[in-house]
Amino acid sequence: MEKRWHTARIISYIVLMVYAIVSLSPFIWAFLVSVAPMIYHINGKPMGVNIMQWPPEINIFKFPPEVFGAPSTASNYAKVFEVTPFARWILNTVIYAGSVTLANLVLDAFAGFAFARLRFPGRNLIFTLLLGTLMVPFPVIIIPIYNMMVSFNLANTYGGLIFPKIASVTGLFLMRQFYMSIPLEMDEAAKIDGAGIFRRFWQIDSPMALPAFATLAIYTFMGTWNDFLWPLIITSSKNMFTLTMGLNFFRTSYYTFWQLMMAASILMTVPMIVIFLSLQKQFVETGATSALKG
Amino acid sequence: MKHYKEWIAGYFFIAPAVAIVALFVIYPIFVSFYYSFTNYNALRQQEYKATFNLQDQLQEYLMVLNMKDLDAKDLLSQFDPVDFVQIQLGIHLKPNQVRSIRKNLNSKKLINDFIALKTNRKMSGAQFFAIYMTKDASMFSRYIPQWLGFENFTKMFKDPLFWKTLENSVIFSLFVTPIQTILALLLAVAANQKIRGVKFFKLSFYIPSITSSAAISMIFLLLYAKPGLINRVLGYIGIPAVDWLSNTSTALPAVMAMNIWTTAGYFMVVFLAGLQNIPKSLIEASELDGAQGWTRFWKVIVPLLKPQVAYVVTLGLIGTLQVFDQIYFLIKNQVNYTTSMYIYVNAFSYGHMGYASAIAVFFFAFIMILTLIQRRVVSEESYF
Repeated sequence: MEKRWHTARIISYIVLMVYAIVSLSPFIWAFLVSVAPMIYHINGKPMGVNIMQWPPEINIFKFPPEVFGAPSTASNYAKVFEVTPFARWILNTVIYAGSVTLANLVLDAFAGFAFARLRFPGRNLIFTLLLGTLMVPFPVIIIPIYNMMVSFNLANTYGGLIFPKIASVTGLFLMRQFYMSIPLEMDEAAKIDGAGIFRRFWQIDSPMALPAFATLAIYTFMGTWNDFLWPLIITSSKNMFTLTMGLNFFRTSYYTFWQLMMAASILMTVPMIVIFLSLQKQFVETGATSALKG
Repeated sequence: MKHYKEWIAGYFFIAPAVAIVALFVIYPIFVSFYYSFTNYNALRQQEYKATFNLQDQLQEYLMVLNMKDLDAKDLLSQFDPVDFVQIQLGIHLKPNQVRSIRKNLNSKKLINDFIALKTNRKMSGAQFFAIYMTKDASMFSRYIPQWLGFENFTKMFKDPLFWKTLENSVIFSLFVTPIQTILALLLAVAANQKIRGVKFFKLSFYIPSITSSAAISMIFLLLYAKPGLINRVLGYIGIPAVDWLSNTSTALPAVMAMNIWTTAGYFMVVFLAGLQNIPKSLIEASELDGAQGWTRFWKVIVPLLKPQVAYVVTLGLIGTLQVFDQIYFLIKNQVNYTTSMYIYVNAFSYGHMGYASAIAVFFFAFIMILTLIQRRVVSEESYF
């Protein structure tokens, strides 16, 4: 019996290690390419770098460390900002993801609270109807939404980018589930003390729902940060692009600027990894389990 | 009395979110449905809104260089209102509109205004018709697509590319969903073996799922290149180098593999949370009953993970059937498009929003039916 367990664990380790390599190596490879110079000089002679080279000839005992047989450099990261309006794209993405997240926190919480705690005619019917809309795929409704934005003169503006996303059924569902899990007694006690509905929402129930707010904020922010389809449809000028749109810029029909493209890809991924690492608990515990209740 | 307060508060609290969902999800469904019976064209929707200088347009149409000594009668004989609207102003007309213009457009007034230089200002097509139509100006106030009945749908059923994209979407879903589910389950079971460094494994499996599909696509564009990393690694086990993304028979499987890689880690975390919630006493009891290894896994653990499996399969199906981003970035050949991509191309590259909407409506119905079937299968399984 002991032995069986032993083999099971060894196999588990092997499986996990192999998949960790599979999972991480694309990022490691992207990083190696992003620090490879485009050209470098040996004795004044310019040399090209073959980023497809195998093995990648890494030498970390030199300074600067070598990749693909050439001295590594961070200049590609700076160059990304020079050759494209990358700072502007970061700003646009922050505005997009930030506003959508803030709006969702407010509107989804409002609605979630009402569906969990308040009684009014048609409540269940409206809620069921809203849940039904979760079945509607975005590509199916994107044409009318785009035309609507055009007729509001909102195409290629922040308003057009943000407005259709300021509330979500998934979000209000998450908030409702959480408000429902808060014991009613707290509410009742506050009611007896003469607290109005808004005060109950603001001072009693919402402070207890902070983990749900955090989860909603993380998922909305990440989803919007990484969103591609809607910015693709609604933005048309370079200075309105988000980061996901901007990535295509490093690829022309003649040449792909791999080093810059990988640097840009890594730049836009790092904030997500930082968020994940600093809020890991929210992700793994609240994230997975509360989504499960859906 | 107090009840009414609660009612009002309730409606007040839900109003913004409900309004947004109604405006941006429910209403568009009906509009899509309407579009699907028309020839709605993205390039034409601005026709009545685009502005022009009427004087310049008339001068060009009538080939007048000098505005002095013009003869109204002479100009009128050269002026064909339908021709002017269609060719000079570039507004597409339907037969009933042509008839109305022939009857109701006040050419005399227009030409007189032109000679008196009153037309020298910027206006839109809609404004032009409001001024110069004696009747029926409302027929020209905005772009109204032509009603086609079922024409878009019959075209769609005969469109081999549409069927190919639908096939691609289904293949994508049918391969990716089960593989990513099983892989995630396998990884979760491995990580649940009281193993050291679970945090590291979780993190490394999770990173692909928090990276944007755009960045991932770019990275895989590099990895899938003919001299790229994937071919080098496969070379060790004797698989010859392939240009994965250019080859129509390997492009879709390559994107599918990438999709599995992206999502398996996230689903693994879901399964792991489920596994950790299984009470130890249940496992121990099954051990006493003599359930071992695989038997225990299939007969005890998997049934206990039913809610997680249902969740992962549902999310997987929804995600894979709609897959768009990766296709947009990585697929070069039309025959490898998925339906979402085909809708996008028709609507936003060709401007055929009517046809694209017909595909969208059909696709929506298709997904609904699949989801219902899947729900039934999952709920039937729970009887075992």
